[in-house]
Amino acid sequence: MQSVTRPPQNNHSDTALNLDPTILLPPGYYQHTYMQSGNMSAPAVLLPSDEVPRDNLPTDNSNPLRLGPGLRILSQPSSKGSDHVLTATQAGMLSIDAKRNAASLLTFPNRRYIPTVNDFVIAQIHHSSADFFHCVITPHTPHALLGQLSFEGASKKTRPMLKQGEMVYARVQSVGVGAGAEVELTCVSAATGKAEGGMGPLSGGMVFDVSTGMAARLIRASSAPVENTDPIEGLVVLSELGRKLESLGGFEIAVGRNGKVWVDCSDAAEGAVKATIAIGRCLQETDQQNLHAHDQKKLVTKVLRELKLVS
Amino acid sequence: MRPAHPKEAAQKPTNFIEPARPQPSMSSREEPLSIPERDFILEALGQNLRLDGRQFDEYRPLNISFGEEYGHVKLQLGKTSIIVRISAEITKPFEDRPFDGSFNINMELSNMGSPAWENGRSNDLEPYVLEALDRIIRHSNALDTESLCILKGVSCWAIRADIHVIDFDGNITDAACIGVMAGLQHFRRPDSVVKDGRVIVYGLEQRVPCFNDSKQVIVDATRKEEQAAEGDLVIGINSAGDVCYISKHAGAPIDAMLIVTKTNLAWEKVKVLNAIVDKALQADLSKRADFGMADESRAANDRLIQPE
Repeated sequence: MQSVTRPPQNNHSDTALNLDPTILLPPGYYQHTYMQSGNMSAPAVLLPSDEVPRDNLPTDNSNPLRLGPGLRILSQPSSKGSDHVLTATQAGMLSIDAKRNAASLLTFPNRRYIPTVNDFVIAQIHHSSADFFHCVITPHTPHALLGQLSFEGASKKTRPMLKQGEMVYARVQSVGVGAGAEVELTCVSAATGKAEGGMGPLSGGMVFDVSTGMAARLIRASSAPVENTDPIEGLVVLSELGRKLESLGGFEIAVGRNGKVWVDCSDAAEGAVKATIAIGRCLQETDQQNLHAHDQKKLVTKVLRELKLVS
Repeated sequence: MRPAHPKEAAQKPTNFIEPARPQPSMSSREEPLSIPERDFILEALGQNLRLDGRQFDEYRPLNISFGEEYGHVKLQLGKTSIIVRISAEITKPFEDRPFDGSFNINMELSNMGSPAWENGRSNDLEPYVLEALDRIIRHSNALDTESLCILKGVSCWAIRADIHVIDFDGNITDAACIGVMAGLQHFRRPDSVVKDGRVIVYGLEQRVPCFNDSKQVIVDATRKEEQAAEGDLVIGINSAGDVCYISKHAGAPIDAMLIVTKTNLAWEKVKVLNAIVDKALQADLSKRADFGMADESRAANDRLIQPE
């Protein structure tokens, strides 16, 4: 029999071992994956078209696996023996959330947001037609559609009358296939018919622009369990702000994956505008200068002092 | 602190009628500012606050650097970023003005600066900025075109300034003007055989965009601030302190006294900006001196003056 020498299979753990991911990714990403995957193996760094190694995926088979941005199913199982093939569509590090049975890819902080199903976004109403609000998720791209009735408890008579320029917090329902596909948004959960996670029109407050990477970090930090909040992704700016602004009445925040953060401090009475500006500046500077946890705390103190919000 | 909870109670009633808002007049392809953003920016200005923590009369950090060749300027004003290139060629002067060379300013707003601008299609902002630059730099004789003459009626220098906007975050007028002036001061045209003139360059301009809603006037507005603005005022002053341009195109009316006080402010700012340009020029000159290019960098006239 002839023996054939085969090229070595692409071994992802090798790739990972030779790379220091902290060079490529914002501070704390390494630590995050490390903790979430729950084992001591090195994190998997994937390049576009790389297959997701089976060993890294959650083993819980009772729930369907949820895929986050940057991952897609390449092929369905054809026979009993084979399985789904998951591939990365962007370069990044695999992040596994065992509790939610979800896998996603932590990529670099993009400038351009690409809609992915189930993302929460902050959209701006551009105009409305008979059945839809036409919304802007990212500037200078085709409009996304938000049904006039896809709000909590909306009927023909009770639907919200949104005007041009108003903002909504919505979920991406579908992104369609192929070129020219329409992105559909919704403000209710398909399962419960309720506006979960604060979806709906956003009134008052202020919207700040951040990078999409920063928005993703903020969302992950907010969904992390309380005891883990401190070191997660090295992002302490929000918890620090929350602690310092608590005496003023706290603030509300909605993070859109499209790189927009809505902040409202209307409980803070006369300090509301100052507090909102402070939060916006802290988030944007943390994002732009890629600050570490220690520097984020210093920044918060500096900005609040500048605006005379704390003594 | 809970994440992601917009306030339901704070919603406006659905029959709330919004007063008519002025639509942004400039760059119509720009995505309109959302209502919360516009309201907040104006509310904050009402409390003497700007989003980036600047004072009303404070410029964003201005960074000027020069390229390898003379007259190649890279300028950053906050996130607004432009490149100015000055070039010269010999042409025939116009029949009616045989002693004058020509000086032209060109600017094209392409997709590179902002996705709101389409390639090959002009928008409202472009003629607006060009007109201001024309008046401030060309018509105020910041560059003495007579000195560009080589031989009467036969040949002269044509100086051309090309402005490329790399990134747009408001206040193109100031950035372009400072860039062109710095470029002209940095530029050295080649020696000509017959006679050598001198490029006299002076003056800088200053733009004071104004928010008239509640009488707030700020300088160096960002893109979002420009979008929320109700009008703007451009004041051009040269380095001798002469006002060479005042423009109040459209938008809300402003108090005449305001123009006087803002002209004073503009004069203060011109001194500051001039100092920054001079510093950048000096730094570039000393850098070139290290490479033995100091002689080359000196004004053309000085080289020709020979003891009789």
